[in-house]
Amino acid sequence: MNSTWTIAQKELLDLRRDRLFGILIIFLAVATLISVGVAAASFRTELDAYNLYVQQLSASGSATVPAAPLLFPLQLLRGGVEYLEILGALFAIVLGYGTVAKEKYRGTLQLLLSRPVGRFAIPAGKVLGLAVVWLVVVALLTVMTTAAILVIGNAPLQGIDIARILIAALIAWVYLVFWSSLAIGVTALSHRLSTGLIVSIVVWLAFVLIIPQIGDTMDPDNQVPGGLFATLNILKADELKVLANFAGFDGIRNGIEVSSVTKHFERLSFAFLGVKDKYNQLPIGLVWLDMWGYAITLAAATLASVTFAVGVTSRRNLQRKIS
Amino acid sequence: MKNLAIATGNLSKSYGSKLALDALSLEVAAGEVFGLLGHNGAGKTTTVNVLTTLLEPTHGNAEVAGHSVTADAMAVRRAIGYLPENVQFYDSLTLMENLRFFAQLSGLSRPDQRIGDVLRILDFEGQERQRLGSFSKGMRQRVGIAQAILHSPSVLFLDEPTSGLDPEGVRTLRETIVRLNSEFGMTIFMNTHLLSEVTKTCTSIGILRGGKLVHQDTLAQTLADFPGEDSLEQIYFQLESEQVS
Repeated sequence: MNSTWTIAQKELLDLRRDRLFGILIIFLAVATLISVGVAAASFRTELDAYNLYVQQLSASGSATVPAAPLLFPLQLLRGGVEYLEILGALFAIVLGYGTVAKEKYRGTLQLLLSRPVGRFAIPAGKVLGLAVVWLVVVALLTVMTTAAILVIGNAPLQGIDIARILIAALIAWVYLVFWSSLAIGVTALSHRLSTGLIVSIVVWLAFVLIIPQIGDTMDPDNQVPGGLFATLNILKADELKVLANFAGFDGIRNGIEVSSVTKHFERLSFAFLGVKDKYNQLPIGLVWLDMWGYAITLAAATLASVTFAVGVTSRRNLQRKIS
Repeated sequence: MKNLAIATGNLSKSYGSKLALDALSLEVAAGEVFGLLGHNGAGKTTTVNVLTTLLEPTHGNAEVAGHSVTADAMAVRRAIGYLPENVQFYDSLTLMENLRFFAQLSGLSRPDQRIGDVLRILDFEGQERQRLGSFSKGMRQRVGIAQAILHSPSVLFLDEPTSGLDPEGVRTLRETIVRLNSEFGMTIFMNTHLLSEVTKTCTSIGILRGGKLVHQDTLAQTLADFPGEDSLEQIYFQLESEQVS
């Protein structure tokens, strides 16, 4: 464990001073902040308009209070989740690849391998280092975006909202560790370092973009902007009746979607944040009851990815990169 | 009976169909400064890589500091220090951070005192907070020595330690090697092209050619065996040509 933590600490120190890492994280933070910030500003505008309207009605002597618009602050985080889903995963791959590749390019691999460290210390140290990095990054993004909701959106957040945000942050951390670990393992396993990066990006392309896109394209409700059923003014009950006739098709579509770990991350995050209408304002316990399968598969996928990274980043595979 | 620091028996290493080491059997006594000579591609670096457990031999056996490089590689790694050719470090880290990292990996739990001692030996005092990216080639080689001796190894492997150094750097490094051997009793195994350095540093030599050991003896005996030759360079080329003919 000592050697593992020593290697993890070195990774942290090294990344802290790495310009590329700094640029990537600042880019991710700015993109996320802009997305949440713009949504929060729009939220505030709607809220202010409603409050002004109520004020004017009251001033004119009217006792009628119009229904408040349906505004849910946690839904403002949708853009942030999507940035982590796509860009975060890509950056996690770059960092995972870099942590193995840099040892080879810099020529430090020989020094590392000549030390009396245990079989799993090097890969475990690298995975642990990146897990800590992502923990810090996700924590910073969580604080920033929560602050944006409070300050820009002027939205009141309850304790339960904070709990939902923290659960979403935990889900994001697990998801990013999955991608970094996968890239470490694939890079260690590949004969050429560049192959490791290319294979990791192909997997990213398939899981993050292609498979979810196929699922979205097959969803009949996505065929028309704003939703097919909404455009045709079909009520939810009737929509369900129509879809019942396409259960087989929808099963295949859903099967394709859930074959991607990204979809598990997205569905979990959207459920706990109430981005998906079905789960909005639903108690956390009920959300968990409906989503535990997704949580387990995401956790299992990440555990498998970490095991893969630690297992294949063997001394022999690393030695092959020296000779 | 000699106390051996390094002993190999019929040690071979192949890369696919290419035989890089061919039944190498050599012995290096404890406390010696051994110079392994040979042309490029003779198998010098492969020998060091096998002895430092970076590569597994294809056949044969090797013991370093009394431990088998295959059966007890961890014990070998604990007992050795290693300076690779063209040594590189984590340039974003300071000298102290680099050395602390390698010291901890070598099992030193509170390494700062030892690092201080090593920095004094190698004349690095006051430069602990400098990042290694700013160090010259000669300084980096000395840092390479520093990281290799942090845990007081009994055997030190140096792969082309003077490669790319200017004359001043070569002299400083030579003095360091001699000092490590004489003051701290380290056995030193060194690959090199520079025959002039070998005569000033080594107590015994071996010559590799095409993966085979074609000569091994003390430097003094080697020079005595060739009274007609003026220098080690002439002896080296004569041994080479004998093998060709």
